[in-house]
Amino acid sequence: MTAAATAPLLEAHRLSFHRQDEPVFAPLDFRVHEGELVLVEGDNGSGKTTLLRLLAGLLHASEGRLQWRGEPWRRDVCAGEILFLGHHLGQKLELSPRENLAFAAGLHGRRDGVSPAAVLEEVGLAGYEDEPVRRLSAGQKKRAALARLLLQPAVLWLLDEPYANLDRHGIALVNRLLERHVAGGGAALVSSHGAVGFHGGEPQRIRMHA
Amino acid sequence: MSAPPLPQACSAMLRRDLTLAWRRRGDLAMPVLYAVIVAVLFPFALGPDLALLQRIAGGVVLVTVLLAMLLALDAMFASDIEDGSLEQLVLSPQPLALMLGMKILAHWLATALPLIVIAPLLAGMLHLPPAAMPALLLALLFATPLLSLLGAVLVALTAGTRRSGMLLALMLLPLCVPVVIFAAGAVAAAQQGLPWLAPIAWLAAALILCVVLAPLACAAALRIALDS
Amino acid sequence: MSTWIPLWLHKLGSPPTFYRVAGAVRPWAMGLALLCGAIGLYGGLVLAPADYQQGDAYRIIFIHVPSAWMSMFIYAVMGAAAFVALVWRVKLAEVVAMESAPIGAAFTFITLVTGSLWGKPMWGTWWTWDARLTSELVLLFLYLGVIGLYHAFEDRRQGARAAGFLAIIGIINVPIVHWSVTWWNTLHQGSTVNVFGHSKMPWDMLWPLLMVMLATKAYYAASLCRRARTDLLALESGKDWVRQVAETEAGR
Repeated sequence: MTAAATAPLLEAHRLSFHRQDEPVFAPLDFRVHEGELVLVEGDNGSGKTTLLRLLAGLLHASEGRLQWRGEPWRRDVCAGEILFLGHHLGQKLELSPRENLAFAAGLHGRRDGVSPAAVLEEVGLAGYEDEPVRRLSAGQKKRAALARLLLQPAVLWLLDEPYANLDRHGIALVNRLLERHVAGGGAALVSSHGAVGFHGGEPQRIRMHA
Repeated sequence: MSAPPLPQACSAMLRRDLTLAWRRRGDLAMPVLYAVIVAVLFPFALGPDLALLQRIAGGVVLVTVLLAMLLALDAMFASDIEDGSLEQLVLSPQPLALMLGMKILAHWLATALPLIVIAPLLAGMLHLPPAAMPALLLALLFATPLLSLLGAVLVALTAGTRRSGMLLALMLLPLCVPVVIFAAGAVAAAQQGLPWLAPIAWLAAALILCVVLAPLACAAALRIALDS
Repeated sequence: MSTWIPLWLHKLGSPPTFYRVAGAVRPWAMGLALLCGAIGLYGGLVLAPADYQQGDAYRIIFIHVPSAWMSMFIYAVMGAAAFVALVWRVKLAEVVAMESAPIGAAFTFITLVTGSLWGKPMWGTWWTWDARLTSELVLLFLYLGVIGLYHAFEDRRQGARAAGFLAIIGIINVPIVHWSVTWWNTLHQGSTVNVFGHSKMPWDMLWPLLMVMLATKAYYAASLCRRARTDLLALESGKDWVRQVAETEAGR
């Protein structure tokens, strides 16, 4: 075993982010290993979204250190290994779920042996593959975005409020995807202020304070 | 787990943006319509004097096309920012500058190309001598991609702001002065029967420079504008 | 990367130090500006002889030339500061760049107004499309674009970085504009005016000019110090040193 293999996937040390020189959240220390699920908890405005955007590489950390597999975090190293799903779903309304997925696969790549049609069926969009996303309901749009989780090869998922807009079956779907991802050696950070029914052991929790 | 090869990513980007442009083709007609309206207003304002119209035709068509492009520039990243596609693009394992280059190319194909197609019609309405027509078309062919590239950098800079078309115009004006001068210079020289290839060559040289540098600047500007 | 910055720059770049230094420098710079300005203008408007060709009208150069020079000098300072701000994320550099822009725009505006006032008796017109005038006008637009972009952002530091990027693009643009307008003038055979072509300037015209130049420089320094101090207080309002400053001010 090399040092890189034993090092945690993601390690934050006194990580903080300032907006207009005001800290958005108190300095954070945490580690995320492969096969681990982390819940990011906190009230509205506690900086959950900011933290996830920071970890994805959309924001610069104001203070502290971020390490990826034991090395300093670098965009070009992590880009293909992190999947970020935020409030904005990144779905083009004029395109169908299938076309949106095809574009995502062209840019981010595709897991071996996974087809867009199968993925869309799995998230419950069978029959809607070629409908423009504009005509789908909010929950169905969310499902179309979740399909990317199954299609793209990524080790670390950063999911911002993945349960929003979803019905009971949709919530079960997210939990199923997370369990399978973690069981397969992936890791995930999930922000949510609701309770999460996760069956794969007790997840690590990060409490956010402003 | 390697990223998809570059040609595949480029073609995916180009195909998506062109498909989107086609599905919103009503929006594409707007700049063309705008250019026609502006060009038609000139004879009404200046009178139908043939000699006068002939003299100003080249410049009027150039400025009209520029204004119409400015109108369409604002939308280059707007919808991508709104729906989060731009975040996904920034996070993808592809070189951002190249992907933005593809976006700019798609935008040019969708907005500038129709304008170039109707430019001879506008020039004809203003009685531009046929001898100057090739110069006008060549000038547009080199000037419009330059404007798309320069404009893309500025649109990227305003990506994080409450959008304002006037601000974009104010920022673009200093950058497009040389482009307008050389493009109009070529047309004017052709009208006077002088050799007109030199200014076109300058435009072409500037275009080559911008094709390399503008996407890089655009990527840097976008990272600044999204970082908040 | 911050190790690249020389230590003194890093030290001066810390907002509390700069606040203190700028506060000490400002009155001296302002005093120098007033003194040199008074001497220079007296020398230029009263002592210097009238020009044998242009009469007394030429005296406007004692305002026009120093402001033209400042309009470009301040742009260069702004561009350099913006570069430092973008590469090393130095907060002070952002402040210097953004607070220079309005001063530079004002000097550019003065240059254009005095230039056209001078142009009326000299060339018989308020405005000619000469390369130098046109470049100056484009410079004004660049300044206004930088100021406009800066204020379009909610986050001031982000706005400063974006506007700084625009300022750097502008530095490349100004020579291109100047050169292309020169080319354009030869194509259209317009009247090319050469302002300083007629003779070398005699000493009794030159020294007042240099004095006014020194005055504008000092004024820029003083004005920048005041603006940057105000800006730093606003940007760092949550920090301890600002609280201390506020307490000492209140104690007086």
